[in-house]
Amino acid sequence: MDLTGLSLTTITLFIPMIGLAVLLFMNGETQRDNIKWVAFGTSIVAFVASVLMWVNFDPSVAELQMVQRNTWAEVSLGESVINISYFVGVDGISLLLVLLTTFIMPIAILGSFGSQIFEERGREKLYYIFMMLLEWSMIGVFVIHDLIIFYVFWEVTLVPMYFLIGIWGAEERIYAAVKFFLYTMAGSILMLIAILYVGNKSGTFSTYSAAGDVGVIEMVHTYEGEGSYWDPVADEEENAGFLLSSVESFLFLGFLVAFAIKVPIFPFHSWLPDAHVQAPTAGSVILAGVLLKMGTYGIVRFNLTMFPEAAVAWAPTIAFLGVVGIIYGAWVSYAQDNVKKLVAYSSVSHLGFVVLGIFALNSQGLQGATLQMVNHGISTGGLFLIVGMLYERWHTKEMADYGGIWKVMPAFGAISLVISLSSMGLPGLNGFIGEFTILMGSLGSEYLGFAFTLFATLGVIMAAVYLLKMFQHVFMGEHENPLSDEARYKLQWNEIAAFIPILIMIFWIGIQPIVFFNMLDMSVDSIVALFVP
Amino acid sequence: MFETPTIADFLAQSNLASTLPGTLLVLWTLILVLVDLFLPEERQRWTPILACIGLGISFLVNLFVYSPAESEQIALYGMFVADAFTGFLNVVILVATLIAILMSWDYLNRADIHRGEYYVLALLSSAGAMFMVGANDLIIIFVALELLSIPLYILAAFRSIKNDGSDLALKSEESGMKYFILGAFSSAFLVFGSALVYGATGTTNIPEIFSLAGGIAGTVSSAAFYLIIGAALLFVGLGFKVAVVPFHMWTPDVYEGAPTPVTAFMSVTAKIGGFAAMLRLLVSGLAALVIADGEPVAWQATVSLVAVLTLILGNFVAISQKNLKRMLAYSSIAHAGYILVAVAATGTAGVADAATQSALVYMLAYMFTNLGAFAVVMSIEREDGSGGNIEDITGLARSRPLMAMAMTIFMLSLTGIPLTAGFVGKFMVFAAAVQAGLFGLAIIGVLTSVVSAFYYMRVVVNMYLRDSSGDLQPALETSAVRWAINIALAGTMVFGVFYPLATNLVSSVSIT
Amino acid sequence: MHSIGTEPYIMLSLVLFLMGAMGVLMRRNAILVFMSVELMLNSANLALVAFAQQWQQINGHVFVFFVMTVAAAEVAVGLALIVNIFRERQSINIDDLQQMQG
Repeated sequence: MDLTGLSLTTITLFIPMIGLAVLLFMNGETQRDNIKWVAFGTSIVAFVASVLMWVNFDPSVAELQMVQRNTWAEVSLGESVINISYFVGVDGISLLLVLLTTFIMPIAILGSFGSQIFEERGREKLYYIFMMLLEWSMIGVFVIHDLIIFYVFWEVTLVPMYFLIGIWGAEERIYAAVKFFLYTMAGSILMLIAILYVGNKSGTFSTYSAAGDVGVIEMVHTYEGEGSYWDPVADEEENAGFLLSSVESFLFLGFLVAFAIKVPIFPFHSWLPDAHVQAPTAGSVILAGVLLKMGTYGIVRFNLTMFPEAAVAWAPTIAFLGVVGIIYGAWVSYAQDNVKKLVAYSSVSHLGFVVLGIFALNSQGLQGATLQMVNHGISTGGLFLIVGMLYERWHTKEMADYGGIWKVMPAFGAISLVISLSSMGLPGLNGFIGEFTILMGSLGSEYLGFAFTLFATLGVIMAAVYLLKMFQHVFMGEHENPLSDEARYKLQWNEIAAFIPILIMIFWIGIQPIVFFNMLDMSVDSIVALFVP
Repeated sequence: MFETPTIADFLAQSNLASTLPGTLLVLWTLILVLVDLFLPEERQRWTPILACIGLGISFLVNLFVYSPAESEQIALYGMFVADAFTGFLNVVILVATLIAILMSWDYLNRADIHRGEYYVLALLSSAGAMFMVGANDLIIIFVALELLSIPLYILAAFRSIKNDGSDLALKSEESGMKYFILGAFSSAFLVFGSALVYGATGTTNIPEIFSLAGGIAGTVSSAAFYLIIGAALLFVGLGFKVAVVPFHMWTPDVYEGAPTPVTAFMSVTAKIGGFAAMLRLLVSGLAALVIADGEPVAWQATVSLVAVLTLILGNFVAISQKNLKRMLAYSSIAHAGYILVAVAATGTAGVADAATQSALVYMLAYMFTNLGAFAVVMSIEREDGSGGNIEDITGLARSRPLMAMAMTIFMLSLTGIPLTAGFVGKFMVFAAAVQAGLFGLAIIGVLTSVVSAFYYMRVVVNMYLRDSSGDLQPALETSAVRWAINIALAGTMVFGVFYPLATNLVSSVSIT
Repeated sequence: MHSIGTEPYIMLSLVLFLMGAMGVLMRRNAILVFMSVELMLNSANLALVAFAQQWQQINGHVFVFFVMTVAAAEVAVGLALIVNIFRERQSINIDDLQQMQG
């Protein structure tokens, strides 16, 4: 057991747990006002801690930083003993997503201050407890480098989200919550078998090497025998039979299905609109902002690094599904009358870009994809906030019931315009940087053809169409449904406070993307290096 | 033919010290019978307390007997083996009995059938289970199994001692009768199987069977025939006891009709006893039945098939159940399937120990979780015993938030969500299956646990996501059952969060 | 003494065992079901005794004693249950045991 002391990563990871513990001991009735402040305060502290991590982060190093690795348990499998270790650390990709998580959480919490759902359903304390649990498990997913503990965190995210949708959601919440739970559990449980196989084969559950222990990734890439590490028997007709016959391919798919459902990649997306539409605002914001990124992150972190040959073999197929997702998501999005559903399907489209970028398997594609994960989190999170605020006032999600909001809430309209433009990828704003880099990456990819880029570009145009359609229906035209309470036209302080950081990030990433690309450079290069023969 | 043994020889050979946890419990029940007889009516509450004290004594003795990490000790002329396997399962059985007695105290008062015999029978049954996990001989397996089962027949019918003709009394009586017929039927299989194995090998001692079985199985002779048929009959007999498909049909009726604490108790102890004997027989006794060197043993395919059937039927039929006890009955069939996955994995050379350990961890997790779930079900039942349907749990999160939280954790644990003991158990079992190369079995196992999520989550949905329309039921439970829930909850959480705890406890177990 | 060997005894006990098993599955009277179970147990006893003779060993005999004792205990419990049920319903047909349907 090597106790290297508490690393900053550990501290950041467990801050939400401290908040949760405090919340547990508070009285839900008498201290109702304090509860939300405790939750908000905790999320701010976590954010500060993650910024500190950024300050301490050295972007010129490819290895994991702020690592802590303690042996946690020993599993005896036959003659061998496999360690399960508490292994945390960050590289650029992890750090960026941790920052995204801790950035979105305070916004989501702010957005739920004073929400009507607490008047209807109560149980405010439970709500914030689940928020803290969610934040803890999401950060955990991004910083853990031990497969078993990763799986634990991955599954634990399900539980609070299930309750957030199920207790505080809209009318069809039970159906949506159960569907979400079963769908994602069905996907991830096969990953457990794949993880067990990996551990059994390589004798460790750690993905990266640390403190003299060789991790799975290093074993895979330093393997020098016949065939590949997972398929030691050299197979001459590998290219012909590879997709379906090799062990590596099965393992790749075992992981991929779990992640693809979470992302969601095209045919696995059907849980998403239900979950999004029924979830409370904060739930949607977190779902779009962070939870979906767990899927794309998982693909980058595990699929590409541990199964490089399968990744190459499957790249065109998965990228194709990504492109289908782009077009399909945009198309269905355009056809929606329900604002929230429109935004939900736009997620399918945007994450299609991310998938395309990842499976371009080059440094531009991967950098763009990672940045686009953040961009989508910010923009779509913002869009869901907007929808939530509209709903709090007008109690409808139908586009037809809105109109002319700009006239009565000009500031709100302007903010919404900026966020919509960012989501559709206007140059100068964050969305453009991500999508453009991805398209450049896919164009230069050895594994993907020109058509991928072509159709993806079509998706960019379609995004402009459906988002502008939404904007026009909601904010332009005549204001037909005036509110009875004039004061409600004014934005609340907490609503403004939630928008400000979003706007700042939209412009910052749009104007100075180099700051973020620098952070990613070495980490992405070390992954891409695996694909250069 | 036999020499008269000297006293010293007798003591050395019987090595009574290492059987003390079980024998003390039996002696204690004898005392308890007498004490209960002379207790005045108003002091009847002393019987459960004394029973708990007996469990405590047995627990302490168990710690002393098994805490030195010595290798196994043989007792009772080789018929009983005291090793880490026995010690661990003894603890599981004792804790299960404790929780069940805490539940019973409440239930018997509520049903107005408070009799001291109840606790005597419960302790006897648990002593039977304790002998069964240490059984090293076919005779002991049989006798211990009967000691485990016969009190359970009576306990299952216990509600009918107040002969008021009520629905519950009838159901309980019927449950006892069905359990009795099926139990006796399965015992007959067990005995006949034992007879045939004895005929083939000339011994009833399990390690000796192991040393002989390999040589016999390879030949074409009537002995080989007896051995195969005998092993199959033994498996059938134990299969009835642990309720695996296709020997499961008694389970739902018996579980539904029996008094809830008895259901909880038998769903755990009878399974532990049965699986312990099955593991000993297959791993220590019949592991020599190998088709070819390096191949898995001959029975692995059969056990795998039974496991698949059990997993699929248990989980799918549970979906359509409306009564919580019936649902938990089918879920307990499904859980027997998961343990069978581990049993099947023991058949691959080199994995036997890991798989046995995983089965033990699974039983530990299942014990805490299942007893907890039954304790919650019991608390929401009304005085007349109705209210055990899945709708009756609706709105529990509002009326009794702590109990709802506990039930949620039990359901998550039964599903196998991380941070609960259930996950640790499933993880270990699947790890063993993957290690044994049983990928198909592992995949079916995980997929059926997704199916199980469907019905377990429905309970959570009803508690949290729906609001009850009717009146809230008054809380009937007393502090005894709350303690039962607390213990079960603590076990589920502690073993779930502190993963190494469970694995360290079983790390020295080896029955090969 | 070894004139006819063990096999015939085992065959007989197998037949008895199967008859018992069929009886349990097909009979509807609880008493007869119960008797069939006893038949199964006793067929096992026969096999045990035969094998004990074949191996010239005492284990089988000991086993038989245990089986007999345990069977007696089972009878006590089983008959009590049957009597109880008869008092309640005036019938011991096990098809009448249908309180629970799921």
